[in-house]
Amino acid sequence: MNLRLALLCTALLLASLAIGPVDLLAIAQTDPALARTLFVELRLPRAGLALLIGAGLGAGGAAAQALLRNPLASPDVLGPASGAALGAVIAGYFLGGGVLGMAMGSLAGAGGGLAILLALAGAGSRAGGTTRLVLAGVAVSTLFGVAINLALSLAPSPFALYDLMFWLMGSLADRTLPQLLLAAPLIALGLALLLRAGPGLDALTLGEDVAHSLGVALPALRRQVVIGIALVTGAGVAVAGNIGFVGLVVPHLVRPFVGHRPGRAILPAALAGAALLLAADIAIRLLPADLNLKLGVFTALIGAPFFLWLIRKGL
Amino acid sequence: MALAGWGGSAVAAPIPARIVSLNLCTDEYLLITARRAQIASISRLGASHHETPLAGRAAGLATNQGALGGVIDQRPDLVLTMGASPQDMALAARLGMRMIALPYPQSPAEVTRQVQRIAGLVGNPAAGTHFARQQAALTATMPARATPALMLGGSGLAPSMQGLTAGWLRLAGLAQRQSGSVAIETLLANPPPLLIISRYRPGQFSGSQAWAAHPALARIKARRVAADGRAFLCGGAAMPAEIRRLRLALAA
Repeated sequence: MNLRLALLCTALLLASLAIGPVDLLAIAQTDPALARTLFVELRLPRAGLALLIGAGLGAGGAAAQALLRNPLASPDVLGPASGAALGAVIAGYFLGGGVLGMAMGSLAGAGGGLAILLALAGAGSRAGGTTRLVLAGVAVSTLFGVAINLALSLAPSPFALYDLMFWLMGSLADRTLPQLLLAAPLIALGLALLLRAGPGLDALTLGEDVAHSLGVALPALRRQVVIGIALVTGAGVAVAGNIGFVGLVVPHLVRPFVGHRPGRAILPAALAGAALLLAADIAIRLLPADLNLKLGVFTALIGAPFFLWLIRKGL
Repeated sequence: MALAGWGGSAVAAPIPARIVSLNLCTDEYLLITARRAQIASISRLGASHHETPLAGRAAGLATNQGALGGVIDQRPDLVLTMGASPQDMALAARLGMRMIALPYPQSPAEVTRQVQRIAGLVGNPAAGTHFARQQAALTATMPARATPALMLGGSGLAPSMQGLTAGWLRLAGLAQRQSGSVAIETLLANPPPLLIISRYRPGQFSGSQAWAAHPALARIKARRVAADGRAFLCGGAAMPAEIRRLRLALAA
């Protein structure tokens, strides 16, 4: 399955590199330098970021669902993504931190969101209720959402307000090579942490006591997963804004193929997340340009009905 | 000109002594037509150097938040705005306030008519005549052949090839050649002969600024001229000066 998903990712990556408003091959024959510029500075960052951010969101969703043992958990539903967005908004728009500041703010926001959620999750587990945990996550997400709305209302000008609103919709259009180089190591590190946590997360499905008796150091595992999710979510939000529902949808798509072992779902979820975001980004480029549909809006349009289906199915 | 208003004929109304403007574009109209003593307040945008080149004229004037409910205690005898909601118009009527909501102008000629109308309302028709003369002078000296150009605002958005901005650009001797969202790839592969970059809040971090700073944009082989994005926000009272400045920049 992983090989098939990897092949699908490769095909979509190549398609993403090939699709654009101008014919790159024709330009390469007449002006190779221009073709190189178009490829390296425009198409490569966009396709590369779609691949990495999709992989990060997919793996982050799978890890969040495994750690919290809840099928409705994902970075964008339970708080880390909105925490990342809030951190980026404050750092970039109110503290004048620029692109680097947004990345730092985004990472801090994602980590802070997860830390709050885990603190509440601890209280929830003592009370023995996953419903309480999900409610806590929704509350964290709502709290950050309200804080983002407050930031919008405090925007220094109508221009900044519109700009913030568009940024929050999520997009990969016209991203730069430095943004790719900024996000890539952070997401790669996050992915490595999440993949390493796989066996521990599998053991956690048997319960905390059994996992502990099997030698899993739960505080270290939680820390590792929290940092991993914060890295993939924070880096993704910092360069692309909010891209919702990938982290929620993708683990459910791959879980039936991995024997419902959450730790084993992380790699295929990363590959499927990359494929889904690459496909979504290609799709919005094929839509009429005047529509100007944002990537985050598109993924939410796909993900929200799936979320409703999950609720109806009783997961 | 279609003026939505309340309180009977504007021509018969007495000259207002306490005027409030709720909108940046009507702020600009007021700043070039009314006496300072007549202005009870303008919107906070009209007093900001980030939003209008005319902000220097607003120094010392009271400002408001652009909402009708926030200026009631100023007891205005005339409220000016642009594109007001029916609810605001109804509220003004209930409160017995004279409120005039101008439509968004679609051409430089319509801007001139609006300025003249406001100048007449505030009892200073000479200011309207002065503005009309400026625009007539620009029209009379407009280059016969327009140079194809592409004006770009934030995030690669190009204004319409017709309409208010295109009309002002034509007075500068330019013909907007494309509208809508323009991809950087398209700009690189098919650069316009002249690129007019609308500069607005250049020191403030934004997605628009990030787009404008894209390394690939630096490689576009086109002459670039900067436009004052503040003046183009309304495309109104500040435009004659901006068009003269653009002409000089183009001639340099």
